[in-house]
Amino acid sequence: MSMIEFNNVEKYYGKFHALKNINLKIDKGETVVLIGPSGSGKSTLIRTINGLEEIQEGNLLVNGFDLHDPKTDINRIRKNVGMVFQHFNLYNNKSTLENVMLAPRLVLKRSEEENKATAMALLDKVGLADKAANMPSELSGGQKQRAAIARSLAMKPKALLFDEPTSALDPEMVGDVLDVMRDIAKDSSMTMLVVTHEMSFAKAVADRVIFMADGEILEDSTTEEFFNNPKEPRAQQFLSQVDHK
Amino acid sequence: MEKAKKRQFGIIATIVLAAVIVLGLLWATAAAKQNEEHQDTLQRVEKLGRIVWGVKSDTKLFGLMNTKTGISEGFDVDIAKALTVQISKQTGVPLSAEFVPVSSSSKIQLLKNTNIDGTVSTMTITPEREKIIDYTNQYFDAGQSILVKKDSGIKSIKDMNASKYTVIVVVGTTAAEETKKFAPKAKILAVQDYATGMQALKAGQGQAMSTDNAILYGFATENPDYQIVGGTFTHGPYGIAFDNNQRPMVKETNKALATIKKNGVYNKLIKKWFSDVPGLDWHELEAK
Amino acid sequence: MSLLQNNFPTFLQGFGYTLLSSIIALIISMILGTFFAILQILPQKWAQKIGNVYVQVFRNIPLLIITFFFFLVVAKVIPMNGFAAGTIALSLYTSAFIAETVRAGILSVDNGQMEGARANGLSFGQSMRYIILPQAFKIALPSLGNQFINLVKNSSILAFVGGLDLMYQGNMVAATTFDTFTTYIVVAIFYLVITLPLSYYMQNLERRLKHAA
Repeated sequence: MSMIEFNNVEKYYGKFHALKNINLKIDKGETVVLIGPSGSGKSTLIRTINGLEEIQEGNLLVNGFDLHDPKTDINRIRKNVGMVFQHFNLYNNKSTLENVMLAPRLVLKRSEEENKATAMALLDKVGLADKAANMPSELSGGQKQRAAIARSLAMKPKALLFDEPTSALDPEMVGDVLDVMRDIAKDSSMTMLVVTHEMSFAKAVADRVIFMADGEILEDSTTEEFFNNPKEPRAQQFLSQVDHK
Repeated sequence: MEKAKKRQFGIIATIVLAAVIVLGLLWATAAAKQNEEHQDTLQRVEKLGRIVWGVKSDTKLFGLMNTKTGISEGFDVDIAKALTVQISKQTGVPLSAEFVPVSSSSKIQLLKNTNIDGTVSTMTITPEREKIIDYTNQYFDAGQSILVKKDSGIKSIKDMNASKYTVIVVVGTTAAEETKKFAPKAKILAVQDYATGMQALKAGQGQAMSTDNAILYGFATENPDYQIVGGTFTHGPYGIAFDNNQRPMVKETNKALATIKKNGVYNKLIKKWFSDVPGLDWHELEAK
Repeated sequence: MSLLQNNFPTFLQGFGYTLLSSIIALIISMILGTFFAILQILPQKWAQKIGNVYVQVFRNIPLLIITFFFFLVVAKVIPMNGFAAGTIALSLYTSAFIAETVRAGILSVDNGQMEGARANGLSFGQSMRYIILPQAFKIALPSLGNQFINLVKNSSILAFVGGLDLMYQGNMVAATTFDTFTTYIVVAIFYLVITLPLSYYMQNLERRLKHAA
């Protein structure tokens, strides 16, 4: 059974046709990288998966629930699908530790003791144990993103969505964040969908690469095939423009 | 250290500023008070060729604003006009009458500030007021009464001596104190003007409105569900008021008042305003 | 100052009622204001409309008329005295301004905060309560302080409906002593006793929150 499944999905912003006839299946435990030129609809696609963007046609099954069905409780899907944003979106009014502990406390009703232990373990894992008491405004960009990843992981999600997680970071910060993501990808039960421009990361971690342009999926191949032998001319052109050696 | 100093400075600055404001206000008050004194009203009136009268704008029969013309109409207004004509004759100075609407609570202050020269505004002569303003002889005989709903069962002010009753009065009238004498347990609700008082009575905010019978008659004619009960329980004739120590003006006005009472002008006005009031013997009010 | 001595219990009673009315109105208007601010930013069109109509009605009608409406009209159905009518009117009137202030505060919180919270699994209500509103109130604090001070001063509306407040007692003292100026200076000082510490406290709170961030 697939974790995420798009069937003939269409998405419009008013008259603008943002997603065109999307058909896509992502299996449990898979790590998929979504690439393409800016404005191609990658972010829109990933944001439909946890309901931040609505779809107008087709159906979109996440963990077996159809997002296009009004009876589906979106909060139940969000419990199982974490998201990491380009601009982190950490809670500015909460400390790093509170950022990680808030949702498990409110949504999962996790006991305070277990919650704190889990949160500290996660902060340790992303290398931020010493920043637990700090406010987000006191963290660097890379630290913020690692804290945001820890926040998502604390919910013990079945899938994690990454929306250009390193695009807003200074170059020297990118490595630390990618290391954390690589770590997560090793966990064979975690489904990951990553929108990124980091080709080296895609090559090293992804099982599959999906190439999008103008709201359409143009290519969906294994990582090796995509980088060595891209079929679509637009994918070839894109690869020639980005540094992927 | 730095912060504590800054805070201390802030507190001191606030206190100093507050003190300056308070002292400023006190100084302005004192200055205004000084300004009030030693202006002879009669001289001022003769110099400017007009008398500015404060009259009521919310009191039927005495001074009620005509919403079309914006001018108050009533017995008080007509008396003021007649007095102006008569004073003009006595002094040989042509005088015109001007009118400014006043409320019960504002009229004394307006006199003191010389915004108005005199006031004919259903004002009861009391010893306390006589200390700070000058009255003429009485120009209308009145007494306090109460207006109640017809089915209320209240027969007089004494029936209202219980904490479950509220008596509505207007701020700046003598009604509150007088009511307290006759019904000490009743609550008092003071409103800004008679119109609001009547509305409050209708809304059930009180069980009676208390003021001079003459004023209540005006409301009783307008509101047939309400009646005046128990007669008058005070005697409080109305006087025309001027600022303190205005003997020449008071003298001229008393002279004029006596003249219009004698020559029939006064009685004509009594008839004009009070002959149609049901339940009131207007002949009683005529000058003998 | 003998005026103050002679009428001290009267002024003190008025001061008490003014303070009580202000505190009640402050609590009610904060709750109502926040509620209608949230209504206005919900995605549902009907909710926005209700919130908008509420704010426009109570913001654009003079407080005196709202007060008289409760004192003279509503009181016929639900008996209430002048204090209650005035305090309710004051609460509704102020809540419209607070709704606008809080709404502006919410709108100036980065949209990413809400997305982050929702994606993290929090419901809309939880996101509002724990993430958006605390940040919105912090942003809105200076203008909320102004609203509170206006509220205290506006409580003088009680005087028009026999609400026993400071202004009412001032009117009564002025009417019996005929010393209008001194009376109202005393009244003004009593108002300052409430408003000055209030503005000082609000400034302090602002400063503290700024440092905390």
